[in-house]
Amino acid sequence: MTAGALPRSAAHHTRTRTHARRRPVVRPLLVFTLAVILAFFAVIYSRISLDRTAFELQRLDREIAVEQERHWDLRVDYARLQSPDLITQRAAALGLVYPEDRRTIEISGMADTVGGPEDRWMDLRALFVEQP
Amino acid sequence: MARSTFRFGDLRLIAVGLIFVLAWGAIGYKLFRVQGADAAELAQLGFDQRVRHETIQAKRGTIYDRDGLELAVTIHGEALVADPSLVEDPAEAAAILAPIVGADYVELVQRLEADGRFTYIARRLESHTVEEATEAIEAADLAGFSFRSEPLRIYPSGSLAAPVIGITRLDDGTGIEGIESVMDTELGGRPGKRVVERDQAGRAIPQAEFLLEPSVPGSDVVLTLDREIQYAAETALQGGIDRSNALGGSAIVLDVETGEILAMVSLPGFDGSDRTTLDPATLRNRAITDVYEPGSTLKVVTVAGALEEGVVRPDTPFETPQEIEVGEEIYTDHGYNPSVMNVSDIVAQSSNVGTIKIQRQLGNEAHYRYLDAFGLGRPASIDFAGESTGRLDHVTEWNNAAAGPSAAIGYGVGATPLQMAAVYATLANDGEWVEPHVVSEIVDSDGERTVTEPRRHQVVSVDTARTVRTMLRGVVEDGTGFRADIDEFPVGGKTGTSDKFIVETGKYSETETIAWFIGIAPIDDPEIVVAIVLDAPKGTIEGGLYDMKFGGTSAAPIFADIAESTLHQLGVSPTHDSDA
Repeated sequence: MTAGALPRSAAHHTRTRTHARRRPVVRPLLVFTLAVILAFFAVIYSRISLDRTAFELQRLDREIAVEQERHWDLRVDYARLQSPDLITQRAAALGLVYPEDRRTIEISGMADTVGGPEDRWMDLRALFVEQP
Repeated sequence: MARSTFRFGDLRLIAVGLIFVLAWGAIGYKLFRVQGADAAELAQLGFDQRVRHETIQAKRGTIYDRDGLELAVTIHGEALVADPSLVEDPAEAAAILAPIVGADYVELVQRLEADGRFTYIARRLESHTVEEATEAIEAADLAGFSFRSEPLRIYPSGSLAAPVIGITRLDDGTGIEGIESVMDTELGGRPGKRVVERDQAGRAIPQAEFLLEPSVPGSDVVLTLDREIQYAAETALQGGIDRSNALGGSAIVLDVETGEILAMVSLPGFDGSDRTTLDPATLRNRAITDVYEPGSTLKVVTVAGALEEGVVRPDTPFETPQEIEVGEEIYTDHGYNPSVMNVSDIVAQSSNVGTIKIQRQLGNEAHYRYLDAFGLGRPASIDFAGESTGRLDHVTEWNNAAAGPSAAIGYGVGATPLQMAAVYATLANDGEWVEPHVVSEIVDSDGERTVTEPRRHQVVSVDTARTVRTMLRGVVEDGTGFRADIDEFPVGGKTGTSDKFIVETGKYSETETIAWFIGIAPIDDPEIVVAIVLDAPKGTIEGGLYDMKFGGTSAAPIFADIAESTLHQLGVSPTHDSDA
């Protein structure tokens, strides 16, 4: 006994069912693959960006350090130029001399408006405290 | 035939196979060692090669004067170093570099010709010198030279107040003298730690750095010194030393109300920025380390004590012969004095005999109590390293009959110039002793300020202090201190001259003296005390009429110069007519 051919409708039905079961699911796989690839590149990009930022931060740190050194170099130069010894030497070179005859002139009302020697420096001292 | 060919080919195949097996076996073995057996050790080795634990140096704090002007600053410096084995022509290299870095040519050649692979060429180089040296090295194509980063401590005012400020070590930057030493903990800050991953070229790998502990910058120290007053005091003292050919000297300017030291001079001094000419003998601050017998300047303690105890009054008369014998000692007065003097005259004429008579009325116990209360025999301040206590034997050790009388006229008692300045500041401050201090405040890296609060205690009454001040005015107006007078301000003070004690021989010098003048200005409304001490002044003035060995001759004029400059700097209005 041999098997007879299936009726057309039944064969078609079977083929159709088989085809539907074996059809590759391409789109989700493609999407997943693309997502993985994108994520991979995103990680790499973010890593590179972080590195770039880190290099930039390093460069800025170096620049800050250089500027701070420059700031202190200038402060030292300024302090040296204010040295009484240097001022005296420069003044002598210019021909300035101490007065031999001194006369005190009192100006009325000045005592109330002019502060002591400390007051002149209050702003400067406050500035020094704020500086690094 | 076929069998032989087969054998030969088989052997070659076997040989090749064996080679492959051995090669792969070796690779496999190595792989096993690297990835398996030795993996941990090798991983650690690699980690150690690229990861380093580094110390982050804390920036040392700055020392300011009272007006916020830098007296000591740390900046970035460089050291020029060399590997002598790589230097081809030491003579040529030395000729190029010596003038730039300020080194000695011959010494530099010797260093570059020496064995070894490391030598310093110059240290503490500032940026402009580094640039100049770099250009010279590149232009001459000199091999074996490089720079090393190191902190550089700068003293912008040079030698100004150097013995007070002190210096730091070149290698680790710690303070070794003066304020740099006393305030080293505060100035030094706290170093930090970090882990750094570096590539083959030694560059730090970004994102591979871990800060374990940040460094804390050192605090800034604000001193009470005023740079202009300090300069005026140094100039005046140097002038006085030159005039009197003294071995050295010291000067102190004290604010009587606050105890702030406005100037402190010790000469000869040094420049902390220039180590090539540094003489260790000049490092000490004579104003706090050197102990002298204060001579007649100490008579004010005897008189103040006697007045306070009510045993004498300013007009109490005393018979004052030219000499007086106490125990085995005979005390004499210099020059001719009247046979009867009151207490004011005794102070004005600096009579030894009269002062000893006052001391006898006061008694040893009370006398010692006042010497102690005026701060003698213990350090005057906590701001100085190595400050001497001076010498004040307890009254129970005054066994010799002459001990009390000697102490009354400033012998047998040792005091530093700072201690004596504090004695006079007490009288100027209406009898209240205020601890002299040079540190005004400490400002930490967060801006927190710690202000110095000096110790205070009342020694004598306001009336006693004012009475003694009146007597001190008499010393300048009519007594031994007339050279201390100033046109624009009324001043008072006391001269003192003591024979110099020679430690090596254990005897007093017959030729050398210690000359003092300590004064108050203005005497009617005191602002400052100025103490002057000269070590072994010599010579004469006014055609040999006056000997420079006396305090009134050599030290008093220095007081006048310093007091006048200081009062001008402080903005004190003159109370005398300058045309008078």
